[in-house]
Amino acid sequence: MACTGCALLCEDVEVQDGEVRHACRIGTAHILNRQQIDPMVDQKVVDIDDAIRHAAAMLADAERPMFLGFGNSITETQSSGVRLAEKICAGIDPCSVHTGLINEIVHSRVRTCTLPEVRDHADVIMFWGADPMNTHPRLLSGYAYYPRGKNRQHGWEEDRTAIAIDVRRSHTASICKSFHKIIPGRDTEFIDGLILALRNKVPKTVYDSKKVLKLAGTLKKAEFGVIFAGSEMLGSVPCDAIIRLMDELNEFSDFRILSLYHQYNLRSIAAATNTDTAVSCERPGGCDPTRLREADCLLCVGFDLANSLPQARDIDASIIVIDPNETLTSGYADVVIPCASGGVDLAGTAMRMDGAEIDLPCIMKNGQTDALTRMSDLNIMDRLLEAV
Amino acid sequence: MSEIRIDQFLAAPECEIMIVRYHDIFQTEAALKHGKFSKEYQDLSAVIMLDPADLKKIDASDGDPVKISNEYGTVVVAAKKSDGEDDTRASEGHSGVGYMPASVWSNILGSAPVSAKMSRSQQKISTIRELIRV
Repeated sequence: MACTGCALLCEDVEVQDGEVRHACRIGTAHILNRQQIDPMVDQKVVDIDDAIRHAAAMLADAERPMFLGFGNSITETQSSGVRLAEKICAGIDPCSVHTGLINEIVHSRVRTCTLPEVRDHADVIMFWGADPMNTHPRLLSGYAYYPRGKNRQHGWEEDRTAIAIDVRRSHTASICKSFHKIIPGRDTEFIDGLILALRNKVPKTVYDSKKVLKLAGTLKKAEFGVIFAGSEMLGSVPCDAIIRLMDELNEFSDFRILSLYHQYNLRSIAAATNTDTAVSCERPGGCDPTRLREADCLLCVGFDLANSLPQARDIDASIIVIDPNETLTSGYADVVIPCASGGVDLAGTAMRMDGAEIDLPCIMKNGQTDALTRMSDLNIMDRLLEAV
Repeated sequence: MSEIRIDQFLAAPECEIMIVRYHDIFQTEAALKHGKFSKEYQDLSAVIMLDPADLKKIDASDGDPVKISNEYGTVVVAAKKSDGEDDTRASEGHSGVGYMPASVWSNILGSAPVSAKMSRSQQKISTIRELIRV
């Protein structure tokens, strides 16, 4: 079974008698999550068919609808959502700071690799604005640091060098061989300094030049380097700076980059919506409040708008929430439609963070302890598509 | 007769702070297990990790409520001293920079890193319902 707790989609997870095996803390809590919601219209509990009818009427009447999220939906639901968006001329915004880099990766403008390739070949691994120990707990043991791989038989003790670059010394940084502290908001200056250092020039920078030169030396010697770009990096570094750094690194070595995001199927929706022209990444969660304010109806699918952008409470648009569980947005949305959770009580497919297609069988089958009987978001989307 | 403290008539000292967000696996777990409206989630989210020098600047102690505000919003969270031996996240000084878990409490202040003013507060910690007005 595959766990949809994050974009690693770990495929060795098992559930027996309500007990989850092999999953991390996040995966276990995700699979056993029972913060379910009732279907609601105007915050009053209604029949799910009524909620879908209301949502369909709102979408049909909307002049500037916008869909948010879909990163936590199976690929089939995303396809149906894209068709619905096309039918009613709605914009789709995955609401993530990662969409820009994913787009560069998908269009081969920057070199990437698969997670098994990281395990088999990577000797220098950089965690930039990323703290997988807190966000993707099995990344280090499954692929990025601890395991022995085809060309890395000596494991992390001898064969791998982990480097953390972050605004704070994270838990991940504490196990890395070197840590470079970024001044908040000044990542790009660090990149520029590093590029100069890679060219054997002493960088004139606010950062410690000797330390930057030493880092450049380590990176140049890498046989197969990988950068895991986290939200804290992508929230403050423009994509062109990342591409400049990657181009420079690849002058001397073989470097790849992977975007380290949480939503289990973000890459698929980001690719499907071709985010070349999509959201600005200036706000938490990647939402652009200006664009949101232009909308008159917001459909949040597996995305908690109020959590990412609390100021969205003042947006004068009707809100529809489709989500397996209670969210902050469902606390005030005009229509709330509960749905099954991909990979938990809904089978489908998803794209792992490295682009691999992964089958998601149902973890919680009917008849099993704690079995759920929720309508799939694919079914909901298809019914909305029919109704509008 | 209760003792009159002169400091209660004075404005609390204020300082500039740069807010940086971080992810905490226990907080994520609490959101999934107990929900985002739960006390468990609030206790792990409505906090700011501060350098002892910054706590001193605003005359606050570990656990005191502190008010943080900027052009985007205002929030009251619990101050946590970040030089504890068991806290590897802050094993080095970070005066002028406060670490907040990614949540509605930090997001209300805008996209991190973002600067804000901070002072000790007599108010209670902001609840999630107050912040999103439900």
